[in-house]
Amino acid sequence: MTAIAATQGVQARRWSLANAARSGLAAWVIVAFLVLGVTLRDAGGFWAPSNIANVLTATVVLGLVALGQHLVVLTGGIDLSVGSMATLSSLLTAILINGYPIRTLPVVFGMVLLGALVGAGHGLLVSRMGLAPFVVTLATFYLLQGVAFMISTTPTGQVTSALADIGLRHTGPIPWSLPILLIAALIVGAALRATAFGRHIYAVGGDQAAARSNGVPVSRTIVLAYASGSALAALAGVVLAARATVGSPTAGQGLELSAITVVVVGGTSLLGGRGSLVGTLGGVTLLALVESSFTLLQLPATLTDLIRGIVILAAAAIFMTRNRR
Amino acid sequence: MSTSALLEARGLVKTFPGVRALDRVDLTCRPGRVHALLGENGAGKSTIVRILTGNMAPDEGEILLEGRPVRFHDPRDALALGITAVYQELTVLPEMSVLDNVLLGQERTRRGIVRRAEQRQVAREVLAKVGLADLALNARAETLSLANQQLVEIARALARRTRLLILDEPSAVLSGDKLQALFDVVRDVARQGVGVIYISHRLEEVSALADDITVLRDGRDVSSGVAADYDVMRIIREMVGRDVDTVFPPLAEPGQEIVLKVRGLVPGGGRADAVPIDLDVRAGEIVSVAGLVGSGRSRLLRTLAGAQPRDAGTVEVAGRRVRGTVRDAVAAGIALVPEERKTDGLVLPLSVRANTTLASLGSVTSWGWLSPGRERDAFSIEQRRLQIQTSGPDQGTWQLSGGNQQKIVLAKWLRTRPKVLLLDEPTRGIDIGAKTEIYRIIRELAAAGMAVVVVSSDLPEVTGLAHRVVVCRQGQVVGELSGPDIAEEKIMNLALGVREVPA
Repeated sequence: MTAIAATQGVQARRWSLANAARSGLAAWVIVAFLVLGVTLRDAGGFWAPSNIANVLTATVVLGLVALGQHLVVLTGGIDLSVGSMATLSSLLTAILINGYPIRTLPVVFGMVLLGALVGAGHGLLVSRMGLAPFVVTLATFYLLQGVAFMISTTPTGQVTSALADIGLRHTGPIPWSLPILLIAALIVGAALRATAFGRHIYAVGGDQAAARSNGVPVSRTIVLAYASGSALAALAGVVLAARATVGSPTAGQGLELSAITVVVVGGTSLLGGRGSLVGTLGGVTLLALVESSFTLLQLPATLTDLIRGIVILAAAAIFMTRNRR
Repeated sequence: MSTSALLEARGLVKTFPGVRALDRVDLTCRPGRVHALLGENGAGKSTIVRILTGNMAPDEGEILLEGRPVRFHDPRDALALGITAVYQELTVLPEMSVLDNVLLGQERTRRGIVRRAEQRQVAREVLAKVGLADLALNARAETLSLANQQLVEIARALARRTRLLILDEPSAVLSGDKLQALFDVVRDVARQGVGVIYISHRLEEVSALADDITVLRDGRDVSSGVAADYDVMRIIREMVGRDVDTVFPPLAEPGQEIVLKVRGLVPGGGRADAVPIDLDVRAGEIVSVAGLVGSGRSRLLRTLAGAQPRDAGTVEVAGRRVRGTVRDAVAAGIALVPEERKTDGLVLPLSVRANTTLASLGSVTSWGWLSPGRERDAFSIEQRRLQIQTSGPDQGTWQLSGGNQQKIVLAKWLRTRPKVLLLDEPTRGIDIGAKTEIYRIIRELAAAGMAVVVVSSDLPEVTGLAHRVVVCRQGQVVGELSGPDIAEEKIMNLALGVREVPA
């Protein structure tokens, strides 16, 4: 290596708060502090297998939705409809299965396909018609919720006991549903790191015009990102139904904002092109931990929104320092 | 010239609101030859590049690739047919690694999975060709110098299977060894039978590299032929296409009163050892500030206008001290027409009427309420005075040509009745007709008693427009020329710091 290459290496690795935040480390550092704090307060309660299982269960639904949101945000977009998508999918899962084990697999695949179709629609409207992602998905946020309410205004349907087991049971501290999230995270991570699609996502989010001039299939990349995002949200809906054993027309409400929260807290730029999956998963863990710690520490649950607001502001402040340089 | 055409563009026409960017342009490229595409700013070179690369569709005309007509709906179509471009604006993605940048859009994959080893090998090969064999492949592109980013961009083009390589101002940020590496690459590529379209402002490069030449002027291909038939003088004559004298209207004698008086001014953000600047501009006088890009000319103007802090010195307008804020500068009668008219000078989505009155809203409001009637009157006065071509006062500013947009910026500031008018690159990206009009307006304003300071990189403009030329180098005033002493060569010598050889 010559001197030029060496200095560049140093520059690239130069440590800073902003770099740590960008690499997704910041969220995990806060997670570590929270774990330490809760352990000091009530080690037995926190480390009890059932409590750990609770925290981990809380990560599954949020994590699936966040993985999809992560892809969409990396392209420079945003998907406000994922909560409604999860709601609709959870409702349809319970109604269509309605207690018949034979229907389970086809319905689950059907839901994922439905999600992919809705997402592909988002992607086409955004990339081909040039509509703003915020507006497109705001529309479907209401649209999908509206469809759910048309189908039923009260909890209804019934999942099979096998599906309910996956949703509810745990072995020691490990919930049975956790592998779903882990496998999904591995697939998304591998796609981002090792496929042309992954490179294209970063390129499209980083500079769409530059990506286009260099022959990146911009439209296809955007469609695929939104389709994956909504498919993951639909899968989250299936897990929601499994956990509740019935379908509810309000099951996924608020998930879209939670997902955006964890993506931002994980250090992904809302402008696109920059972000780490490790950070997003850190954000997911952080949010799951915050919520379960409240009950453990006997703090009023009404404080959760306040804490969320503070966490987002703190994350934004960290990234501002980088943008100002 | 017996080789058949690789690419032939016939009768390309492209019209933007208010400008005919290309007017029936023909262009023929042959394999293994370097074809230089020349012309002033705004002559239509970049429009041709955008059309040939599928970034833009022509209004009329056709493109033949090896005799077969082709149509591009997307840059991907052009790339697939072997037309590769290095664009004037860098398309390096700052957040991505050098490796990913080189292979952007041409990832080597098997079943969708990127083959890292192959990618690294390809990147090493092409980076070595542009003289960057030692570059760290994992470094983020934003950590590279501008010159190295440009070379990465060229390396990226070399990694593609290319029949026609288009280089749009590839040398603008290169010098020394890196420039030599670029020349070697161009010659090497041409030797392998690839056709090259080479765009550059540096005419020495063109005579060193080009086999064929096409000169564009105001969207027309005014001249085309073998490079051997052209010398630098002929190229310039074809590019300019006129006697420079006719462009500049007569110059009136300046008055005696000193309107702008600058003493010991040190613009903020400059070098620590900066020499303070003294400058007097009389009523009716036009002073050009010349110098290379980065020599501190724009900084001087911005400091005078209060848009940038000053470290020391005083500024007086007609005997009144001016504090270093924009508000006070405007109040004292200083108006700055900025370099970036689309971002700093205008609010493009607003109507021409709204832009015209933006800096002088007080005169068209009563009790805080805007009067559309008075706004329209105000606009039509300026429209008549500056001959602004619009479809009406409510036309969107984004729809106008560069020349008419610049007139709106001028109109906006003239309405504040300035005593001192500062112009930063007033004719950049404006076609020749509109340029002549802007010169006329500047001359008329001076004749009416305004003190005018013009920063320009356009040497004919510097020499032809002003009473006096002040030359900057590295943030300092290094010389002053007036009257018959004003000559392009003398200005360049001062700007570059070349000592004139004593006779």
